[in-house]
Amino acid sequence: MIELIPHILNGLTLGLLFALIALGFTLIVGVMEVINLAHGALFALGAYFAMTTIGGGWFGSSAFGVWWGDLPIATRYAIGVVVGPFLAAFAGMVLELCLRPTYGKPQLYGLLLTFGAALVIEELIRLAWGTGEQSLTVPRAINGAFFMGGLIFSTYKFFAAGFAILAIGLVWLFLERTPYGATIKAGAHDSEMVRALGYDLSKLRLLVFGFGAALAALAGVVMAPIWGLRPHIGVDVIIPAFLIIVMGGVGSFWGAVIAAILVGLSVGITGAYAPAWSMLSMYLLLIAILGFRARGLLGRKSALEN
Amino acid sequence: MSNSKFTRRGVLRTVAAAGGLTAFYGPWHHNRVYAQATDKPIRIGLTSDASGQYANSGASDRRGMLMAVAEANAAGGVLGRQIETTHLDTETTAATGSRVAERMITREECGFLVGAVSSGVANAISQVAQRYGVIYLNTNSSSPTESGENCHRVKFVWDGNGANFSKASIKNSIDAYGGDFMLLTNDYVWGHDTARATRALIDQYGGSVSDEILVPQGTRDFTAALLKIQQANPNVVAAAVGGDDQIALRQQVAQLGMGDKIAWINNQQDWPDIYGLPADNLFGVFGTTWYYKLDLPGVKDFVGRYQAMYPETSMRVPGNVFYNGYMATKNLISAIERAGTTNNIAVIKQLEGHVMSAESRMQHHDAVIDPNTHQVQQSIYLATGNTAPTEEDDIFKILTSSAPEDVRDEDSLGSCKLESYDDTPTFDA
Repeated sequence: MIELIPHILNGLTLGLLFALIALGFTLIVGVMEVINLAHGALFALGAYFAMTTIGGGWFGSSAFGVWWGDLPIATRYAIGVVVGPFLAAFAGMVLELCLRPTYGKPQLYGLLLTFGAALVIEELIRLAWGTGEQSLTVPRAINGAFFMGGLIFSTYKFFAAGFAILAIGLVWLFLERTPYGATIKAGAHDSEMVRALGYDLSKLRLLVFGFGAALAALAGVVMAPIWGLRPHIGVDVIIPAFLIIVMGGVGSFWGAVIAAILVGLSVGITGAYAPAWSMLSMYLLLIAILGFRARGLLGRKSALEN
Repeated sequence: MSNSKFTRRGVLRTVAAAGGLTAFYGPWHHNRVYAQATDKPIRIGLTSDASGQYANSGASDRRGMLMAVAEANAAGGVLGRQIETTHLDTETTAATGSRVAERMITREECGFLVGAVSSGVANAISQVAQRYGVIYLNTNSSSPTESGENCHRVKFVWDGNGANFSKASIKNSIDAYGGDFMLLTNDYVWGHDTARATRALIDQYGGSVSDEILVPQGTRDFTAALLKIQQANPNVVAAAVGGDDQIALRQQVAQLGMGDKIAWINNQQDWPDIYGLPADNLFGVFGTTWYYKLDLPGVKDFVGRYQAMYPETSMRVPGNVFYNGYMATKNLISAIERAGTTNNIAVIKQLEGHVMSAESRMQHHDAVIDPNTHQVQQSIYLATGNTAPTEEDDIFKILTSSAPEDVRDEDSLGSCKLESYDDTPTFDA
């Protein structure tokens, strides 16, 4: 039993990271009813932007570039964590503008457009940063390893899990405790009513998409030191994110968080005792949950169920 | 009385027409592509991955093939004919590999196929190629089964395989660190075959395998496996993990500082998989067939040609994957030249048993294409991360060089059953 504890701990940290990945995805699906297949590409784009910011690649060998390079890595990292998601948010907003002609049409249009956008972003990354493996530098204080119970754990992974808790908390506070969050939620519930009350729904959608893209990018910045950084890394993200929001109940914030932790635990524990099943375990979990509760863990009750 | 009139000219005309029809429609059911005009370009299909787990390596592989073709064309082509290439993405997926091979042969009229990184894809392509008799060069996939149970008359395997690399490293590891092994294996054909070869060698040299952790392809978080390895605390971990999975593994092992706490054997290390990684990611001992800093004639010139042809590529120096792609294509072209024809059987015979000098291969020992398994028997190098690099790209430190006969994969000899020439369709490309 004691041997199981490190694996449960690993599963929990992994689950929190999955939750961070799924956060932006669930926000966009919940509010806009758009399955954003470019979520993974925005994840990668944000990480690349942050990497270049931290490394100072934007500034070359100019005087500013030299000054930038002399800054402590912790400062550059903190700035990179902000700049990466900010620039990705801008890309997300451009994508939302492209999506507008698809609103009111069958969902397949939006699906195909975001799929195409994912391919375009991936190719742009290849052109800008090359095809090779890159690494995102992190400050020494959060790198390395520590011992616990005679085993080595990654300091960064625990930092990333802590960061994920913070991000989840902040997003929840934003959605639940600010008027902007209230408007976003109202837009998801009844967009016509929000429009009738005088809110600019187009602007709201633009901001939500930008916010969702920023969250995807933030997850990319956090995950890059663990998973590595390559142009197609977004492909690794989209399937778990999709599974998690379906499992949690489409549009449910806490449903997504709980589902992510369950996925993390199942992958982490099977990874130790039946590793060949670890990837499959998340699909089995999906089948099990949807088998008992078709609308997901905390999904809204369908009108058809009344 | 019949009105029919047999004349000598009429009979000759009929016989000539029947002969012509026979030549085209039968009984030569093997003939797929008919002898083409001699001024028509020779078409080579490049079957390298452009997406999926081995997209990076596939790109490097393809660059190697294209450089060999460009050099041959600049020298006047082969048999007076220029060489054309066509590329389709095999997506690191066996099913796509089959479709690509079928399309390249039947619709793109490719007379030769070159390229692979994934063993599953290579196996799928070679089955289609054998059905049509099209020569296929498996450039970079290194499962022992490729030249063992999945060998084919038309297929030639250019990379060292898992058994070759394990042979070069297992005995040294047992002597240096002890005999308790744990295997970390990618759960697909290459991983399984390499692990099987490793197990056999561990048994042979008196070691034992305490556990094997199978990791599915696409695994991005290895923490569970690494925790289990720590709990078991073996002397040596023999990892057969490839592509993007391996990059993630390396980064996570380095983050935990486990690289120097346990002895790691990483089988083969493909250059595109590790290029650009920090030095502490290059822990353990691993195999390779070539390195750009080998102090041998021709290496510097080869690197210079690569840089001249690909000035924009982020990989500033060629690696083993590029090298294999280049060498395979170059030797295919010279085999056609030696055969004096594009007839597939004639070219196959030129490749079988062909000895390539160490100088032409830029390796320490002569290499030979084994006529029984069609695998290139070549020098195998063991390397580790270079802690004192002379330049930014100099990230390997070569530890040993093994002669082909010392690392020969004997099992393949027993399990490979090549189709006969008669059972292989024949045609001129």
